Amino acid sequence: MTITLLLEQIFNGIQSGVTLFLVAAGLTLILGIMDFVFLAHGAQVMIGAYAATAITAATGNFYLGILLAIPVTFLSGYVLEFLIIRHLYRRDHMEQVLATFGLILFFNELIRISFGPAALFSNLPSSLSGFVHILPDAPYPTYRIMVIAIGFAIAVGIHLLVSRTRMGAMVRAGANNPDMTAALGVNIRLLRRLIFSIGACLAGVAGMLLAPLTSVEPGMGEPLLILSLVVIIIGGIGSVRGAFIAALVIGLIDTMGRVLLPELLRSFMDQATADGAGPALASMMVYIVMALVLVFKPTGLFPPRG
Amino acid sequence: MQHLIAIIRLARQTPSLFLLLAAFALFPIYTHIADLPFWNDMAMRIMLLGMAAMGLNLVLGFGGMVSFGHAAFVGIGAYCVGISQFYGIDNGWLHLGLALLICGGLGLVIGFLALRTSGIYFIMITLAFAQMLFFFFVSLEAFGGDDGMSTERANFIFIDLWEPLRLYYLIWAFLFTTAFLLMLIINSRFGIVLRGIKDNQSRIEAMGLSPLAYKITAYVVSAMICGLAGALFASWQEYVSPDIMHWSRSGELMIIIVLGGLTYLAGPLLGAIVFFLLEEFLPEILHVIAPDYTENWMIIFGPILIAVVLFARGGVMGMGMRLRDMAKNLGVKK
Repeated sequence: MTITLLLEQIFNGIQSGVTLFLVAAGLTLILGIMDFVFLAHGAQVMIGAYAATAITAATGNFYLGILLAIPVTFLSGYVLEFLIIRHLYRRDHMEQVLATFGLILFFNELIRISFGPAALFSNLPSSLSGFVHILPDAPYPTYRIMVIAIGFAIAVGIHLLVSRTRMGAMVRAGANNPDMTAALGVNIRLLRRLIFSIGACLAGVAGMLLAPLTSVEPGMGEPLLILSLVVIIIGGIGSVRGAFIAALVIGLIDTMGRVLLPELLRSFMDQATADGAGPALASMMVYIVMALVLVFKPTGLFPPRG
Repeated sequence: MQHLIAIIRLARQTPSLFLLLAAFALFPIYTHIADLPFWNDMAMRIMLLGMAAMGLNLVLGFGGMVSFGHAAFVGIGAYCVGISQFYGIDNGWLHLGLALLICGGLGLVIGFLALRTSGIYFIMITLAFAQMLFFFFVSLEAFGGDDGMSTERANFIFIDLWEPLRLYYLIWAFLFTTAFLLMLIINSRFGIVLRGIKDNQSRIEAMGLSPLAYKITAYVVSAMICGLAGALFASWQEYVSPDIMHWSRSGELMIIIVLGGLTYLAGPLLGAIVFFLLEEFLPEILHVIAPDYTENWMIIFGPILIAVVLFARGGVMGMGMRLRDMAKNLGVKK
């Protein structure tokens, strides 16, 4: 294991961490403020990825694709909240799980009908497909650097929005005690719809950024959804700060584990077994971390401050 | 004798359950006359799904614990058969015993850890444990890993499962036993406390009872029932792969319960029938009205699910009960 490879993996971990954060940021507020189990958040990732890919293909401009896809995802979140979600807030958790599970099935099938079951691939513009030297002899894809930069920029933006603005104060109050916030005259219904739409938009941006890195296919958001649920639980439901830290930790554990664990296992088992067990053990590790956190701190590491 | 009368009285309170069980017992006669042996296979699948959902319903419907990871126990039960056979143990009773033991043990550990939390956290931690087990079996290359392993119909001494209908009635017998035991459990003192915890945990605590012990016990029992269903599933499908414990399978079990009707003993079994019918006939209907989209039946199934949650509380059983009440009221007016 050379330093170069290690550095590259750390960057990959951070990159997957910030995209996880984009998915988790909205979801943690949906879970925290609305006490709503929203499983179809992965579908928003998929919608974002498809919107960006389709618009890029139609216009031939990658940047325009992303720029135009952002309002699409915002609108999809807004409409979804208006049509379905707002009728589910008062239902119990299991009904929410089932209804949003139904939404997943619906969106996956809708995408399959509209774009076909095969995966789409999108090409990067030449300005982004190059490499940047993070160390003299360690080239790293420019695009991934850009993803990291955008992710951090959005994280800072959300932090400022939540901690410095009037709307952020309402959000924090809502996370702490929705009924009391409503009683103080905050339009909690509008607040919910906005949070939902912004959350959908953030998840969509994650999908857009990931589109050139992975295959764009029906159900592509589901692994991301499950991982971001892990992130949210570790970070504490309703805490954006917790989601950010947990997302980076999970991104790093997941990526580094996949590389380092087989290496580690190889030192005391034969290569074939180690190569087989390593990646799966790495994907188990994330859940082991989550179980440990829940056992010792059942409300997560950074529960929203009261 | 007194006990017997009490049990019969209980059974008369849940007529739908026993009607369904009787229907399953007589179903092969119908398939024999109509010459549709294929449907026996489907009925077995429905019974197994129903059995697993019944197990889950003990914690979900009666205990109010939203476990999002019960497919893992079904999978472990199935793998108990597969792995035993891999090592040359082919006694079916041994497989079932093993499945009960391991699922019970795992249920105890997971239940003990997960029940420290509640609400969304409980849903998520049960999901996490199930994912952990899922990836564990994906990683077990010796037992097929991702691709799974083929299993054989287990060898139940005195019962040759290769004879026609033997597997069918073996599954039926276990389903009947499970349903019967669940009926006794739900109506026992234990079951009453469990339902009380669902309604109001603090009240049960105030009565000096420890809810945790009841919840863990229910969790273990439900894990064992799911394991049993899984072990029989391996004999039916003659194949087991990690897919059986994928998180969407846990979702399916919940769908089945809600379709049939939470809080009803017969709910899961009825739900399994409805689920199967939707799965089977939605593509058929689509084939007629929109032949190009036969494969895409999920686009209708998803909204049906949402509609059931929004409008049809209590599932099919709930609707049946409402109809019955309406009929009763009409009778009074006459």
